[in-house]
Amino acid sequence: MTTRNKTLIGFAIAAVVLGLVPNVVDVLNAPGFYLTFMFTMFFWISQASSWNILTGYSGYFSFGQGAWFGIGVYTTGILAAKNGWPFLVALPVAGLVGGAAGLLLGLVVFRLRRLSGEIFALTTLAVSFVLASVARLTSLIDGGRGIFMTGTPLPEFLGDFRTSMYRMTLVIALLTVLTAYLIFESRLGWGLFSIRDDEQVARGLGVPTFRYKMIALGTNAFFGALMGGVWALQIGFITVEDVFNIRVPLLVILMAVLGGMRHWMGPVVGAAIIYTLTDRLNSAGLADLNQVIIGALLIVLVLGVREGIYLRIRARWVASAVIFFGAMAVLTVFDVTSSLIWDFSYALLITMVMLLIPTPLWERLTPRRIAEPPGDPPPELPVPSGKAST
Amino acid sequence: MSLLVCKSVSKRFGGIRALNGVSTSIEEHEILGLVGPNGSGKSTLINVLSGLYTADDGEAQFGDLDLLRLAPEKIAAAGVARTFQIPRPFDTMTVRENVSVSYMFGHRRHSLEAARDAASEWLAFTGLEAAADSPVDQLTLHQLKFLELARALATDPTLLLLDEVLAGLNPTEIEQSIEMIRKIHERGITLVIVEHLLRVVTSLSDRIVVLDQGSVIAAGDPTEVMADPAVVAAYLGGRAPDARGA
Repeated sequence: MTTRNKTLIGFAIAAVVLGLVPNVVDVLNAPGFYLTFMFTMFFWISQASSWNILTGYSGYFSFGQGAWFGIGVYTTGILAAKNGWPFLVALPVAGLVGGAAGLLLGLVVFRLRRLSGEIFALTTLAVSFVLASVARLTSLIDGGRGIFMTGTPLPEFLGDFRTSMYRMTLVIALLTVLTAYLIFESRLGWGLFSIRDDEQVARGLGVPTFRYKMIALGTNAFFGALMGGVWALQIGFITVEDVFNIRVPLLVILMAVLGGMRHWMGPVVGAAIIYTLTDRLNSAGLADLNQVIIGALLIVLVLGVREGIYLRIRARWVASAVIFFGAMAVLTVFDVTSSLIWDFSYALLITMVMLLIPTPLWERLTPRRIAEPPGDPPPELPVPSGKAST
Repeated sequence: MSLLVCKSVSKRFGGIRALNGVSTSIEEHEILGLVGPNGSGKSTLINVLSGLYTADDGEAQFGDLDLLRLAPEKIAAAGVARTFQIPRPFDTMTVRENVSVSYMFGHRRHSLEAARDAASEWLAFTGLEAAADSPVDQLTLHQLKFLELARALATDPTLLLLDEVLAGLNPTEIEQSIEMIRKIHERGITLVIVEHLLRVVTSLSDRIVVLDQGSVIAAGDPTEVMADPAVVAAYLGGRAPDARGA
């Protein structure tokens, strides 16, 4: 069986297992916050993965995630809450509006002015500032009064509010990650990687750079807005300040960088880790310290694990699996903490301590490879150079 | 038959005329040596023909296409490839991946699966198969130059522009590179070589074009051209106004 088929089966299994979680929670009569925790994680996984399709793959550093997210939030806000469209009709429109906005920006920055590097990054940031002003000043959009989403009816087959949120975010997150994977394993993906490494050379070898960058930006904006469209429900009361701020783009960048921008799984892992930690810090009443702790952690991790956590996990997959699941088992069996989410976050922390051991020291600690992954392990991918173009 | 006909190709950088109305032609299946002192416009001509720079004026007919009006990716798709004097590999990829990417795009579109096999073929041709799965930062300059060749060849070009393939190499490596250039030529690929080592160019080339200050000052048979007083003067830095053609 090819790696591709294995990965696709993996996706199918993940879809089924995660799809059944609401039913399991229901049967066990477990508290609803499990679902909230998980669907918020899906939100971040999707945002980080979609951002990575543009920035991780093509090297064009974007601060624009907040813009795509905001377009999605306001599109469903206007269509479903203000104009009474059925939510599931408004939602795809949100994605399409975001995608169209992405393509429009692409037309300007990639064709009219060949922007690259920091100018590209600042332009994408400016887009969300412009959108914020437009939303604030236009009464058709917001006009400074905000939009109430709380009364928006959801179709019954999705279940109660939490379950509906869970199911919708799960589907979108799976679609985003699947798209990121399919691009990663395609001509489009390799074309984008070559753009990231050296755009001039890539063009000279026949890579249609303009078209590929447009596809990457459009896909990024589409999924950012699609997930934003769902998230409008969770926000409940939409205001310009809550939507078009720097939080989404910054967190998304942190997640992808920490997880590893060179691989489609990187942002997934990074989003899971960072979201879990911020959520636990908030829940422990350390919200004020949150930024400091996350910031410090990021410095340590980015310097210590430059290739990204995901590739480090893959290089030490036996140890990672043993430590993570071992810790999970011990914590759950002895009932150390009050919830599975705490068990999960402690297990994550313990595993990350192991992952932080520098590679030379790690190789000395494990002189002979204890076990190789079954079959041929894929060659370790080189460290991303992170340059956009020369 | 002419494969490429350049007519008064011009390129200015600010006040400097890097190419001042260059007219020349490249015949099918030949090896054309492009020589001239530093700053004479050899590399600029390559950069203009490969679409890296936009020419200010002139035309370059390649079949029924004018290369000067085409985007670089269209030029590659038309079957023109180039190498860089200072190798510019994709540095987050392995050697094999570098060549695969170029095969996937290049002259014709190919699938990801086909590219893996084709890459092996070109790596074998250039003698890089042992380094195929190494990251490019483990390669020597000599290997990087051959990677440039493998990557250009994988685009399946009819015309290959080689920008100083031999610069920075030791005598043994130069011998190997010359042999490689001959092998490439035997595959029916037309070559334009820009080179500083005159001895090498004259022995390799079927014909030579000499550039000086952005203009063609001589063209023709290698030995005759190199004996031309204008060429000698250009290389020695003097002036021979009466002998200066075009």
